[in-house]
Amino acid sequence: MNPPDHPFSPRPDGARRLESAVFWIFRAAAYLILACGAAVFLDIVVKGSATVFQSKAPFVNTAFLTQAPESLYVFEWEGQPRRMGDREFRAFKEATPAAANVKAESYVYSSGGIFPCIAGTVLLVVGSMTIALFLGVCAAIYLNEYARDGRFIRFVRLAILNLAGVPSIVFGLFGFGMFVIFFGWNVSLLAGWFTLAFMVLPVVITASEEALKAVPIGFRAGSLALGATKWQTIWRNVLPYALPGILTSSILGIARVAGETAPIMFTAAYVVRDKLPWEVERAVDFLFQGVMALPYHIYVVSSKIPQNEFTERVQYGTAFVFLVIVALIAASSILLRNRLRTRYKW
Amino acid sequence: MSQLSSSASAPTPQFPIHKRRLRFLGLTVEDCIKSFFGGNALISVVVLGLITFFLVKEGAGFLGQNRQNLAIYRLAGLEFVDHLRRQSEDHTALTRYLSDLRLRTLNQWTGPGGLTLEAANARLAEFDDYAARFGDAADPLRGMVSDLSEVATAIKTKFLVNEDKKEERRQLLAEGKVAEAGAVVITAVDFPAELRPLRDSLPAYREANREFSTRLGALLAAAPRLPEPELQRRMDRFAELGRTYVATFPGIERDLAVWDHARPVSAAEAFTAFIFGRQWLTASFWQDWYGVVPLLTGSFLVALVALSLAVPLGVGAAVYVNQIASQREQRFIKPGIEFISAFPSVVLGFFGIAVLGQALRAMSQLPWLSWVPGFPYSERLNILTAGCLLALIAVPTIFTLAEDALNNVPRALKEASLALGASRLQTTIRIIVPASLSGIISAVLLGLGRVVGETMVVLLCAGNRIAIPDFTQGLGFIVEPVHTMTGIIAQEMGEVVRGSIHYRALFMVGLVLFILSLTINYAAQHIVRRYRISIG
Repeated sequence: MNPPDHPFSPRPDGARRLESAVFWIFRAAAYLILACGAAVFLDIVVKGSATVFQSKAPFVNTAFLTQAPESLYVFEWEGQPRRMGDREFRAFKEATPAAANVKAESYVYSSGGIFPCIAGTVLLVVGSMTIALFLGVCAAIYLNEYARDGRFIRFVRLAILNLAGVPSIVFGLFGFGMFVIFFGWNVSLLAGWFTLAFMVLPVVITASEEALKAVPIGFRAGSLALGATKWQTIWRNVLPYALPGILTSSILGIARVAGETAPIMFTAAYVVRDKLPWEVERAVDFLFQGVMALPYHIYVVSSKIPQNEFTERVQYGTAFVFLVIVALIAASSILLRNRLRTRYKW
Repeated sequence: MSQLSSSASAPTPQFPIHKRRLRFLGLTVEDCIKSFFGGNALISVVVLGLITFFLVKEGAGFLGQNRQNLAIYRLAGLEFVDHLRRQSEDHTALTRYLSDLRLRTLNQWTGPGGLTLEAANARLAEFDDYAARFGDAADPLRGMVSDLSEVATAIKTKFLVNEDKKEERRQLLAEGKVAEAGAVVITAVDFPAELRPLRDSLPAYREANREFSTRLGALLAAAPRLPEPELQRRMDRFAELGRTYVATFPGIERDLAVWDHARPVSAAEAFTAFIFGRQWLTASFWQDWYGVVPLLTGSFLVALVALSLAVPLGVGAAVYVNQIASQREQRFIKPGIEFISAFPSVVLGFFGIAVLGQALRAMSQLPWLSWVPGFPYSERLNILTAGCLLALIAVPTIFTLAEDALNNVPRALKEASLALGASRLQTTIRIIVPASLSGIISAVLLGLGRVVGETMVVLLCAGNRIAIPDFTQGLGFIVEPVHTMTGIIAQEMGEVVRGSIHYRALFMVGLVLFILSLTINYAAQHIVRRYRISIG
């Protein structure tokens, strides 16, 4: 090894090699994580797009996205193997009387689409996020604008932090015990809304507080100095500037709400339901009906029904649609947040 | 809005423009608004309180019900029979040891260049004869167990029928139908009389036991010898196990002699039966057990596997992104990992069932990987599969929080270290990471909380077998299927009868989970607060 010819020359080679080796290990860790994530994502996307897309125009399998789940009937007719959904099969039997007694194997949920699940998920997300945003933003306003540091506030913050760590299944149990049984709402949209809303509350509160904090103190001071009341200041001079931040960060909460299965298992989700959520007799029934939901449907088709060669289509299709919805929500949140960071500079 | 304006500062009477303030219940409008927001801030406290309240409310009845459950177990003599059954089962375990040994011997003898199957079997004839004699030795015991089981089950059934009748009468009385209520005949179960067959069997049992132990002693002394030292070592081990087994007989006899059906079951006993119970057995025809230990071990083993994968990866990636990566790399690695956190757990669980389970099993059957403990295995869904997926769930949490912690290390520390001539590696390992260690540990703890509380992945991928894994094989337990606390709630909650003991037991499991997650959370916060470096 050559002696260094001046005092600032690089350190001896062994140490450098060790350094770059260790750095490569760290680098490998980072890229391994990304690779695993990409592997899961691509597997679902590639296999799922076989269900959701098709080679003929309009290229999207509209039946899968707009119909309800049905049983699949597989039978042999005039020497040809046939596959039909429930409705189609019944129509076929009526049209061809000779087929009335044809022996068909039925596979549950393997035909039709997932429209009721999509509708149910959207309803659950919209409702619970409305509740969570209202409660969360109000709580954040208090914490950031009104509260002075003290024992009470520290207690509230501790509660928020702890609430964030409660497992989702415990929220499910709680929702079941309180809304479904104690309030007697049964398995219903309303029970699901509140359960999910309470679950994301910590996320929304933290996000809203961050956004409120980002509004410069000068905005408040100026408004108060001009004689506005505290509430006027908040309403006119703080909230409008914080709102974009609140909304974008809360999208992360939306992704979480949409993605959770455990809390709605006993509070809002039905395995199967014939009617669409808006097909109710009285308006009140709308709130007190159970719905189908995408995550629960994935659970049902991947573990509760007998597996066969026909279930994979529905499994991957549902997982794909669900993953794309959640991923779009999450990606938009991450992108919007980055845009917003550069847009608002006070 | 403007007419509502008021000043927060103390008003002076001489103020030229004085306006009467609107008041509700002695509060100004501003106060009302403030308390409205304050009320909303309280929501999280209220929700935490409500969660505790409803878990306790639904779960509290469990102790009483479990106490009765255990009391019947004792009253009807099931406990008595279970002493005998345990003895018989221990014997079965020894028999299994023998057949396992036979399999090993056979494999060794029929290996490459060895005997044919027929020849090996012929050579094992003596061994088989011995194993058969050993197995048959317990026949009298087995017969006794099955006879007495019937007696005990009959008593239990009689008692339960009586309970149903009592309930029926209570309902009739509540409805005011006194005559019908009188017609319900309840004959109280005379436990001492009913249990006489059990007690009377004791002398016969002692007699049989004596004979059994002499037979076993003779058998163990005359154990066949195997040529290979490795196999002979196992044979010796068998003899040793057998002698330990025989030595337990007096203890069992003593237990049976002092057994008393009327000994009351205390509430503490019902509680420990839940917390330390090693069996979760429901809808059994013999006796239901609600012990949380198998579920707890399941949850922790899965979490252990998940964390041992997620911690190095997550922390490593955090160090890389924070200290080493270029700006451009940072810009796509960070959102990429955050994006993983958006994967719904049920989708990951489905991926485990559809792809990862098979892939890992196929991998385990590769010959060059057979040194890995537990490999090869045949159960597709097990701790390993669930752990790998949970690692993917824990990684974003650990990564984000650890990266934050690294970011919070004061710049001066790094600069000082570099200025003193330390290399980047030395600075990172010796300065930056130790300085942010509290943050990293709390990140790991929060990751643990996430993993323990995760439901869908373990429900779909952990195999759902309610048993404590077999730790005797060393690390091989990672390929055994388990059931977890979250999984059991999700799986059984939908099917239980409201208010039944099983239902309440599930709420108790939820309560344990809740307390556990609060503890983990609290520890994480405590560590951050206690050991935070505060250098400006």
